[in-house]
Amino acid sequence: MNLSPELFDAIIKAGAYLGAGIGMIAGFGPGIGQGYAAGKGVEAVGRQPEARADITATMLLGQAVAETTGIYSFIIALILIFRA
Amino acid sequence: MQPGPKVLAYFLGNENLPITDTLLVSWLAVILLIIFAALVKRRLKIVPGRLQAGTEILLTFIVEQIESMMPGAGRKFLPFIGTIFMFVGIAMILGIIPGLVNPAGDINAALAMALMVFFYSQYLAIKKNGVGVYIKGFFEPIFLMFPMNVLGELAKPISHSFRLFGNVIGGGIVISLLYQFAPWLFPIPLHFWFDLFMGLVQVLIFGMIAISYISVAISD
Repeated sequence: MNLSPELFDAIIKAGAYLGAGIGMIAGFGPGIGQGYAAGKGVEAVGRQPEARADITATMLLGQAVAETTGIYSFIIALILIFRA
Repeated sequence: MQPGPKVLAYFLGNENLPITDTLLVSWLAVILLIIFAALVKRRLKIVPGRLQAGTEILLTFIVEQIESMMPGAGRKFLPFIGTIFMFVGIAMILGIIPGLVNPAGDINAALAMALMVFFYSQYLAIKKNGVGVYIKGFFEPIFLMFPMNVLGELAKPISHSFRLFGNVIGGGIVISLLYQFAPWLFPIPLHFWFDLFMGLVQVLIFGMIAISYISVAISD
């Protein structure tokens, strides 16, 4: 069985695009984590409305850290799409 | 559609020294910041004018952010942290102007700032406790944890820079996809959302994480 170079390239590209799409499933995690942090932030503001500014700043920082895994998967997807 | 910096020319014709559009915009940001500083500095008064009052509000805000994590050290770290805040902030605002690109959408710019924070925090940790305590810190709690501690330390600048870069380039890709199928109406509010709101939140987060890395380094 001998594959032509064009078919070989097409298989590589198909694999890379599929991999990028599957890799972005990691977007689930940061979404759940950020939503949980936002919900807890709302609860905290409801309990202590006077500490609103501090709670918002801490919540944004925590959400940014929770986002890291999503950003990693996004960068891997970008590399797969544009380098394949 | 190819995101990322575009090579405009080569410095002295050397293939290894490309001049990209993000590099030119970051020089523009530096020049604008220098002009702004010179304008504010030229006539400082006890009773501030409009420009001076605005600058004082901005600097007080940055000092408050530093003080919230490192009480008493706000003025000491203001030059370093304030430069990061203002450079990334002006980079985000320049990115909205058509024809200019956001320098933070280039991994080189984001990684340069993250590495600066990384080396500065390591320097502060060594200066505070001495080399012996600094090296011993990598063998805590037992010596088997040495590779984990080194990797954890090296992952900091990578996650710090990828967070800014990924957010900027992700917003840019979503906007450029919308430009392809609905170029008239939708992209304008999305520019406000991704570039202005998310961009300024990212500025705050990039600065706050720099502050927290420095405060961790000088606390132990």
